[in-house]
Amino acid sequence: MSEDSVLSPRNAWFRRAVGVTAGIFVATALGGFVLLPYAQPDLKVAGLWDAICSAAGVVRTPSAQAPAEPDARLTKVVVTSALPATPAPDAIGRGATLAQQCAICHGPTGVSRADSPNLAGQYAAAIYKQLMDFKTGARVNAVMTPFAKDLSERDMQDLASYYAFLPRLPGYHPVQEKPAPRIVINGAPMRGIAPCGSCHGALDNKTGSPWLEGQPAAYVKAQLFAFASGERRNDISQQMRNIARRMTPEEIQLASEWYASQPSTTIHTN
Amino acid sequence: MLTSRRLILAHFWLAFAVFGFALVLGAWQMFVRSPLHTWISNPEWYYRSLTAHGTVMGYVFPTLVAMGFGYAISEVSLGRPLVGRRWAWAGFWLIAVGAVMAMIPVALGRASVLYTFYPPLIGNPFYYLGIVLVVVGSWIWVALMSINLRVWKRDNPGVAVPLPMFANVAGSYLWAWTAVGAALELLLQILPVAFGLRSTIDAGLSRVFFSWTLHAIVYFWLMPTYIAYYTIVPRAIGGKIYSDTMARISFILFLVVAMPIGMHHTFADPQVGAGFKFIHSAFTALVALPTLLTVFTICASVEIAARMRGGRGPFGWIGALPWSNPIMMAVAFSFVMLGFGGAGGLVNMSYQLDSSIHNTQWITGHFHLIFGGAIVIMYFAIAYDLWPHLTGRAMRDLRLMRVQLWLWFVGMIVTTFPWHWVGILGMPRRMAYYDYADPAIAPQALSVALSAVGGFILLASGLLFILVLLRAQRAPREDAGAYRFAAALHPPVLTPALNSYALWIALMVGLTVTNYGFPIAQLALRQDTSVPAVYVGADP
Amino acid sequence: MTVEDHDIDAARVAERVERRWATLSIAIIVVLAGAAAFAGIHKATMPQARVETVEPQTIHLSGEFTEANLGSAAEPDGSVTVRAVGQQYSFTPQCMVVPVDTPVLFRATSPDVVHGFLIQGTNVNTMLVPGYVSQIPARFSRTGDHLMPCQEFCGVGHEGMWAKVKVVTRDEFLRMSAGNRRVACVD
Repeated sequence: MSEDSVLSPRNAWFRRAVGVTAGIFVATALGGFVLLPYAQPDLKVAGLWDAICSAAGVVRTPSAQAPAEPDARLTKVVVTSALPATPAPDAIGRGATLAQQCAICHGPTGVSRADSPNLAGQYAAAIYKQLMDFKTGARVNAVMTPFAKDLSERDMQDLASYYAFLPRLPGYHPVQEKPAPRIVINGAPMRGIAPCGSCHGALDNKTGSPWLEGQPAAYVKAQLFAFASGERRNDISQQMRNIARRMTPEEIQLASEWYASQPSTTIHTN
Repeated sequence: MLTSRRLILAHFWLAFAVFGFALVLGAWQMFVRSPLHTWISNPEWYYRSLTAHGTVMGYVFPTLVAMGFGYAISEVSLGRPLVGRRWAWAGFWLIAVGAVMAMIPVALGRASVLYTFYPPLIGNPFYYLGIVLVVVGSWIWVALMSINLRVWKRDNPGVAVPLPMFANVAGSYLWAWTAVGAALELLLQILPVAFGLRSTIDAGLSRVFFSWTLHAIVYFWLMPTYIAYYTIVPRAIGGKIYSDTMARISFILFLVVAMPIGMHHTFADPQVGAGFKFIHSAFTALVALPTLLTVFTICASVEIAARMRGGRGPFGWIGALPWSNPIMMAVAFSFVMLGFGGAGGLVNMSYQLDSSIHNTQWITGHFHLIFGGAIVIMYFAIAYDLWPHLTGRAMRDLRLMRVQLWLWFVGMIVTTFPWHWVGILGMPRRMAYYDYADPAIAPQALSVALSAVGGFILLASGLLFILVLLRAQRAPREDAGAYRFAAALHPPVLTPALNSYALWIALMVGLTVTNYGFPIAQLALRQDTSVPAVYVGADP
Repeated sequence: MTVEDHDIDAARVAERVERRWATLSIAIIVVLAGAAAFAGIHKATMPQARVETVEPQTIHLSGEFTEANLGSAAEPDGSVTVRAVGQQYSFTPQCMVVPVDTPVLFRATSPDVVHGFLIQGTNVNTMLVPGYVSQIPARFSRTGDHLMPCQEFCGVGHEGMWAKVKVVTRDEFLRMSAGNRRVACVD
């Protein structure tokens, strides 16, 4: 009963097993690669070879559909986990110098006294993306736009690195022991609202999204209303507008105030 | 001849301990997402728990049972002490360490990616490393089973391999090859990204790799159960195996066709060609064959036992069966659940029917019924049957055992039947909560609540099971005699093809190449299908 | 008749019964697989015919899935194409409109992780895998609303990822699409 004798065409089991297996494979392959493509109503096959290729899943080059008129207010930034590019060795130092002009609004330590967003410890990807959007005009603000216009790619990367490097100091916002509102923790599934916390801190973070804890309530609220009205559109494929549009004014108020009241050291995902 | 009792007991105890832990998580999940509970105050905990439940129940628990049972089979059926016991302990510890290593990041919320991994979601690398260790530990078992059989064959030329060992080694080879898909995904794709060496991953390719593992792993889970059907049940109820040949053919069929069918898990995926979906669908139908053969052989074997006990008439013999015997009850429950689960499986195998239930709660209902129901209830039976021989102590809690099996059966039906139903209604899987107040979802509330009740029945049964084992461990010493497996009605005739694996492994690998080769090669060679990783619970 | 003869006879009987059962099992499987293949080819939906790729991180910059191109488009041949994006954690458009009794083609993709595209009460059910375009034909025979949950775990916000599909009369769809390149409903 040596195994070699089984693995030989002289063995009846071998002949039968290989024959049946091959037979089933050939039959199903004929069905899948020839019969099926010709029977598919939405597939226009250009001959047998094309039928086989389509059924095998040979990749087709993406269709280049002409886009509609470009909207200047949509972002041009590509957000991935590799954003921004690896900083230069002197990025933080250079960023610190550049950041002096930002201190009036965003505070000398990146903590604002003027209802502008706190930037200390903010994710580099989030800062970089917003600077880029201000520069291209996808996001417009009377104060920010002129500053951003003159920033180079390197400037924006260095600013992002510098602010990301700063420690997340507690802001000037009172720390309160309030339970998180439902909209932050649970969202509203039937309105298609995921929890705020699943992208902006408290539950998890999504690349490109800022963390919001300790941010001024007035700022967060204004941005949510801007997203809801469509005034602000630099979120990729409407990901924020989808949410803000369906939030009630009360929910916007609650979420903004709760985030503002949270100590900015509460970071769950870092 | 059971000489490695400590080794086997260690495997079973670790298996049932992690099973108990994951069962508690499972019941909790059923409860918090049901209308009986308000929305959970941190949805992330739900996904954490789900990751732990799936990882333990899918990778750790059944692997340990298969390994422990495999060592017992090797010693008993070959009648000689295990060769390589030290290696076996090494495998055991690899699994124990791997399980703990995987669970730590999960518990910390840094690997909530679910046991199916789902790249480009990427969690903490130690989660994946832990799973790799579990798989490596189980591969030691595969090697040991192969070596033990080889040593025995060398000393017993011309003798048919005992059926339990033949099936056991077939199962181990199936697992060795099945695990390769997920191993490739973990080692070549996920771990480099998790460690930050690369920042992109081909999500489509990893789904194809995972389907290689995901379906056949079910047959690996199934192996101990089928071995118990054939070689424990007839003996336990006083009968014989109807057909040794049929049994071997069934296990061979599992070995050959369990694996190259996994793409029915990717029916709805855009990265796989329709032709390959068709082929895999047809081969999936084929895998029903060994189950149908088994159903016949086991029913015939049970009938033999009934008639030997004086059963008469075309159906009258059913009454003559030893219904108070826990093994008899377990196999009956198992067959009922296998029947329902198998019928559901026929729905999943067809592309068209699958499209109405794909990734809904139907799927979760289906694999809980098959795995948690039909398969795990036989794990209980295996433990009950082996325990007195492993501990050398009496096992007298027959009533408790019967209650436990009844609870498991009822609990599984109460859990999974409503689960299937809400799946047909379109309820998606794996959400931490649902808005049952919405009129479109409200009709599902009652079914989900019922499911949650079933979950608690299962929990009660599982805890009772562990209690029975614990009590038996403290019972008075008693010699249970030599452990033996069922004998065949007609002694096996030595057929080389039914006593060796080379041909069947060749066919298994060959079918993998034909059914998976092109889809994998195409996606692996293309550069433009890699997408940026999305890290969860870690530094972005 | 000796005892051995009897044994051999019994073994033969057993083998015959086995063979019959095996034949029956194979017949069952052939019938089932045949029925599935027949239904697939003649009656119901089929798997996506071609594999198409798309670069996920730039879909918002150019090509078919830019923001202005999402939503329902009336095609010259009378059919409707609906283009959608599923992303963490919403679908865009969040509310899709399709006319009743009209061939509809859904084309969708994901820019980040794997999502699911399931329209409740129909057999429209596919995966969105980043890097690939999913395409699925449909035809709605009744007007009304359908829920459209993401059916694949996509991260912590997965439970909040629900969209809607509104099936309207053909007249209403015509009214909505008059003067609009793309149609979606906001509610």
